[in-house]
Amino acid sequence: MAIVSLANVSKSYPSPERGAPRIVAVDDVSLEIEAGEVTGIIGYSGAGKSTLVRLINALEPATDGTVTIDGRAITGLPERELRAVRLGIGMIFQQFNLFEAKTVAQNVAYPLKVAGWGKAEITARVQELLDFVGLADKARAYPDQLSGGQKQRVGIARALATRPRILLADEATSALDPETTQEVLALLKRVNEEYGVTMVVITHEMDVIQSIATKVAVMDGGRVIEQGDVFDVFSDPQHASSRKFVSTVVQGVPSPAELAVLRERHAGRIATFSFRDGDAAQARVFVELAQAGLEFELVYGGINDIRGRAFGHLTLAIRGEEAAIDRALARIGELVAVTEPPIGDGAVGDGAVGGGAVGDGAVGDGAQDGEAR
Amino acid sequence: MDKLIDLGPEFWTAAGETLYMVFFTMLFGGLAGLVLGIGLYVTRTGGLLPNVVVNNVLNVLINFFRPIPFIIFIAAVQPLTRAVIGIGIGTNAAVFALSLAASFAIGRIVEQNLLTVKPGVIEAARSMGAGPWRILTTVVIGEALGPLILGYTFIIVAVIDMSAMAGFLGGGGLGYFAQLYGYRQFEPIVTWAAVLLIIVFVQIVQYLGNWLARKVLRR
Repeated sequence: MAIVSLANVSKSYPSPERGAPRIVAVDDVSLEIEAGEVTGIIGYSGAGKSTLVRLINALEPATDGTVTIDGRAITGLPERELRAVRLGIGMIFQQFNLFEAKTVAQNVAYPLKVAGWGKAEITARVQELLDFVGLADKARAYPDQLSGGQKQRVGIARALATRPRILLADEATSALDPETTQEVLALLKRVNEEYGVTMVVITHEMDVIQSIATKVAVMDGGRVIEQGDVFDVFSDPQHASSRKFVSTVVQGVPSPAELAVLRERHAGRIATFSFRDGDAAQARVFVELAQAGLEFELVYGGINDIRGRAFGHLTLAIRGEEAAIDRALARIGELVAVTEPPIGDGAVGDGAVGGGAVGDGAVGDGAQDGEAR
Repeated sequence: MDKLIDLGPEFWTAAGETLYMVFFTMLFGGLAGLVLGIGLYVTRTGGLLPNVVVNNVLNVLINFFRPIPFIIFIAAVQPLTRAVIGIGIGTNAAVFALSLAASFAIGRIVEQNLLTVKPGVIEAARSMGAGPWRILTTVVIGEALGPLILGYTFIIVAVIDMSAMAGFLGGGGLGYFAQLYGYRQFEPIVTWAAVLLIIVFVQIVQYLGNWLARKVLRR
């Protein structure tokens, strides 16, 4: 059974302007999160990601629908009972949100005091947690004496103090440099694997998804427009809007600006071929092009690895007779996904020839500024 | 100079009165202001215990009294002073008027300093299941302690200033001393002696305030 379940959940706020329609931050979202999974929530800023995770620990009450945690519906519970629910859900933040006036040890001890633990138990647990995150020597330091990575490790220790079964991470690595991001991600991975903590991570970084997520949900305009296994969503996004977002974070897909440059530099038709492991080998593509008597060159590309499974995108400039190119692309389209970015726009995903189904493009028209706290 | 030496006992009595007034004003006004400021802070929209009605009442109350010049406030509040402490003049009457006036100013300063606490820190405490009062007492006040100390230091200096007007209702103090023995009797040295002592008080208060705030902020 899902440990977190959202059923037709919406969150709207009264508009600051009198008479204006309510601002919809989360719009009719249904999402099931299985115990032990790491679910990435991705999407552009303003898509409603932050609000969505705050519905899970009821920092934001849902205006519609039902949020169920561990089989218990929490929507509409009185504040006092919600506090008890929150003790079982840890949360970490982009800006760490440590208590600056408290030491590292006091920060980690805080949720335990809230939970009513005894003094000796708290001391032992704080020590255990600081050992786990590798900051035992910093127990008496204050947050302003720590680096960003150390601060987030304190944040993780603090969030895990009461042994929650769920951890919410709101852009937890976005304020860190790449190396520190890897450290923190490795720690989160250990949290998931050693303690079996279910995680919901908001992110816009491919690194985060690649290294820890098992499932992913794409948000746009307050809706979850696509969800599934990370590999499936990233290698073959079904929805136009998620395709657009995915193309901005995965390697090998040229941006519209890069496409314009490529067109200037290379004569011929530009086409992008998307491979997934298990699909026909790349070699077949080249063989088909060669057999059709076409001249081609590789102008852009990249291979992504998600949990040992690879997918990639290669963009070629193809020269030859138009009709011959059409025939060759149609044949290749039966083997792999072929995309010909239309001239002038260049957004990958529109006008796909064969391959993945074209999304309907009608993205929820909910308000974009749903990140209100 | 001889004149000042003759006035020695009166001078030290006046200094004592000033310290007495400042001390008790900060005790009563400081506490009342803390309550007012916390009230403003927690009841504001998006606050820990949002309550539009209470917030508006407190705001109007403070905005009504704060702009009144203290010398007028002292006179206007005299009936209330008489009702509360039984007499409308004297040092204690001055303490009452000072405490009342200071509490409104302190309320604002406390509110402003509590607002410097980052919303994210409060959200973090909420995410751990802490309730509003626990967050206020164990997170917000601790996080804002440095600025609060500096705010109170600022107010002590302002109260020293205001206490100089206590002579208006027979409250004594250094202000009254300077006025009576210095200004009216054409003895600038006497006036300046009072001024110097007030400057010394202010310097000591500011130094201690800065020192304490630095200790709390660890920088």
